[in-house]
Amino acid sequence: MKFRTIAASLLAISLAGAMTACSGSGNGSGGGKNGASSGGKEPAAATATASGSGSPETSASGLDRSKELKLTVFSTTANYAGEQTGWFAKIIKDKFNIKLNIIASNLDGGDNKIAAMMASGDMGDIIVFGDDKGNYPNAIKAGLLLDWTKDGLLDKYGQDIVKSFPKAIEKAKISFGGGSAVYGIGNNVATNQPGPSEGKDMTWGPDLRWDLYQKIGAPPIDSIEDYLPVLKKMQELEPTNEQGKKTYAFSLWSDWDGNYKLTLAKQFANMYGYDEIVDTAVYVKADEPKYYDFLSDESWYMKSLKLYFDANQMGLVDPDSLSQKFDEVTAKYKDGRLLFSWFPWLGAANYNTPERTAQGKGFALVPFKGEKVWSTGFNQYGGNGILSIGAKAKDPERIMEFINWFYTPEGAMISAGGGTSIPNGPKGLLWDIGSDGKPYVTDLGWQAYQDQKGTQMPQEYGGGSFDNGMNKINFSFVVPSLTNPETGEPYDHNLWETSLKRNPTKLDSDWREKMGALTAKEYFVKNDMVAVAPQGFTGKEPLQMDQALLQKNKQIGTVIQQYSWKMVFAKNEAEYEKLKAEMLKKVKGLGYDEVMAFSVKKAEELFEARKSVSP
Amino acid sequence: MAATSGKLELEAQAPYFRRGLPNKYKLFLMAFPFLVVTFLFFYLPIYGWIYAFYDYFPGIPLSKTPFVGFKWFRTIASNPIQTEEVLRVMKNTLAMSGLGIATSFFPVVFAILLTEVRTGWFRKIVQTLTTIPNFISWILVYSIAFTLLSVDNGLVNTLLVKLGIVDQGINFLASNSNVWGPMILWYWWKSLGWTAIIYLAAIAGIDQELYEAAEVDGASRFRKIWHITVPSLVPTFFVLLLLAIGNLVNNGIEQYFAFQNAMNKDTIEVLDLYVYNIAFSNNFPFATVVSMLKSIISVFLLFLANGLSKWVRGESIL
Repeated sequence: MKFRTIAASLLAISLAGAMTACSGSGNGSGGGKNGASSGGKEPAAATATASGSGSPETSASGLDRSKELKLTVFSTTANYAGEQTGWFAKIIKDKFNIKLNIIASNLDGGDNKIAAMMASGDMGDIIVFGDDKGNYPNAIKAGLLLDWTKDGLLDKYGQDIVKSFPKAIEKAKISFGGGSAVYGIGNNVATNQPGPSEGKDMTWGPDLRWDLYQKIGAPPIDSIEDYLPVLKKMQELEPTNEQGKKTYAFSLWSDWDGNYKLTLAKQFANMYGYDEIVDTAVYVKADEPKYYDFLSDESWYMKSLKLYFDANQMGLVDPDSLSQKFDEVTAKYKDGRLLFSWFPWLGAANYNTPERTAQGKGFALVPFKGEKVWSTGFNQYGGNGILSIGAKAKDPERIMEFINWFYTPEGAMISAGGGTSIPNGPKGLLWDIGSDGKPYVTDLGWQAYQDQKGTQMPQEYGGGSFDNGMNKINFSFVVPSLTNPETGEPYDHNLWETSLKRNPTKLDSDWREKMGALTAKEYFVKNDMVAVAPQGFTGKEPLQMDQALLQKNKQIGTVIQQYSWKMVFAKNEAEYEKLKAEMLKKVKGLGYDEVMAFSVKKAEELFEARKSVSP
Repeated sequence: MAATSGKLELEAQAPYFRRGLPNKYKLFLMAFPFLVVTFLFFYLPIYGWIYAFYDYFPGIPLSKTPFVGFKWFRTIASNPIQTEEVLRVMKNTLAMSGLGIATSFFPVVFAILLTEVRTGWFRKIVQTLTTIPNFISWILVYSIAFTLLSVDNGLVNTLLVKLGIVDQGINFLASNSNVWGPMILWYWWKSLGWTAIIYLAAIAGIDQELYEAAEVDGASRFRKIWHITVPSLVPTFFVLLLLAIGNLVNNGIEQYFAFQNAMNKDTIEVLDLYVYNIAFSNNFPFATVVSMLKSIISVFLLFLANGLSKWVRGESIL
């Protein structure tokens, strides 16, 4: 009797288990149909929770905001996962009664996570794609993204986008929307403005430890090879840092390599006005229809490998370069163990503390003769990063209205930025508009921008550190150097007149005096050392590799990447040449010529696109 | 006597008449849910192999995807360089698994030694300390390795340089010449205690009378281990060995992913990692092809090993 009871209950349990498994798998394989109907039919019950706080009940456009809207943001560029907190969360909660929950594929699964999200049939409410190749067009094809023109959504709730950035919408329609639909908008959009779109610094330097460079007599630098003897002397002058640890000129890291190259070997090409077309085998000139082969002898990529190889022979390269990660490199900059920085946002941002700059120590731009630093022009069409709304989004009107806000002067003043450019933050706390109508940064503001993690925000502004509160979606809506029509100055606080005139540090004044310019950007522009790449658009769908070629390209990429590292750390010249020959043979065998043929087409497409904006 | 047995028979048959269902069906019905589960989770996924024959992109339904036949199978041997790559990867895979199998007696020895430790608290401490690493992820194991072995600031190199044994730090983590050995050491460091658990259980299950009898016969401690413990562990060991052989091509990727860099990639890239590196992020069909081939090879190897076991030991697990 007892046995039978047990057997019967066991049977019942296992059957129930099997049936749940059945229905569970049915849900998944059905392309999320069940999920869609439940999510679509009762959005209020499923998603919105009543909010008791005194948030604005309705918006200017007449939308009901009384229910708190919790949005799932799937960002392939975010480096933070979880709920948005801090000052930015407070602002959007007060203004829109919206909360953001961020899913970051960078932190969890990478490309596999993206694929899994796509296969599940629901990518969330707001989706950020790192680029407009592959995943984005496929998500459109798979019907995962919402058409912004449906029911007049964009015209009704996205008026500022339509009004201020019509070209970006035009590109979205022609490139990806079959001429009429809008599935997303490119990042860093701008109105039509000439010149470089960067902030006070360009993306590239190169920067050296200015104090040491001056101590060895500031020898002139005619080419990138000339940096090596200079750096050697600097290293001899300061062989160890304050803690007695060894100093190096270059400390490389491999975790940003992606799938095509040794990332840091690409940077000198940018200083010569060339840039790669991502995931192809060519480098193109910023302002001329010229390109060269990635692996040819004239390629700055190959020359950079040689440069690092020579540097390594001279003891200038950190021996941990191969096995360390980016964070370790940042720490080394902070500790003063490195003497060279490709980027102002790396060396100066980490080493130049107020104490050090007051003593005249710090990283600053030391350009070479003939430098032509790559600059991205203002892009009316928007960049390749994409922001979309999910096809199953709960409340598309409110989402659209929310997105639109980032394109208004009010929204951009608070949040324009992302990546390495710091947003201005809450008005009245970190910055304000003076009586003369000019924006200025408050003392707390300067503190927050310099020490983002260490500066606490007052409770009434959301609490937490300034860094906690930054918009963690990591998507730059408008380019921060764009001019704000309300103040006549750029959104970026670094470019405000009041900021540039603010009392300079010893390092700044020394640099300014010797270089005869206020900022690095001014120096480059004044001396005609910038190559601005016009950001145009062909008016056609972009060319894409088919899957077989993609596979070949990926394999070639991993080979190039692997051999690049080996070449840099080769024991001697002979081994270097041997590895180089091996690499060339291997990539040829894997189909490099086919990839090259495609790459050339891609370059031609780019040159054609540029014609659309050149006068 | 006959009457009694007749009565017993009747009693035994009584439920049959009452329920009308023979025991074998009842047993089958009891097992049925589990068969369903097995079917759902182990056989149904094989349907996914269909992706190997399409140019599939996640999100786009198969009905809208072009059928490409055996295209992705052919890419494995599309040109000599590609074939070389596959052979290199297979060599690494077999080497790592081979080393794993060759050293699979480690946990047996460890378990035996552990049970021979007489001091209870010491045994417990050793067992705990060797089991804990199993719960540390490979990414963290790598950071431990980096802290210990980095050239510039690692504990080991600092020690070696300070003691004057070498002039300059040795780059342990970025060297192509000795990857397999350290990899297997890291593997056992992480899983020795954990794997030993099953042997400890097997040892606990050995009949104590055998030991007592051996003691009466005057057997030494070593004799008892050799003639009682080891033979009792052999069946367990063989089952695990057969499974390991069946898993020859599945090394998993975490360990190798964490430790890979440009210098050691040639020798560290096992099949799973290779597929991850070149295919998983953007090429599902190719990844499916490789996993299909892996399944087929695994099944073949398992049967081979089982056949060998039958031939050598007269016992098999299948």
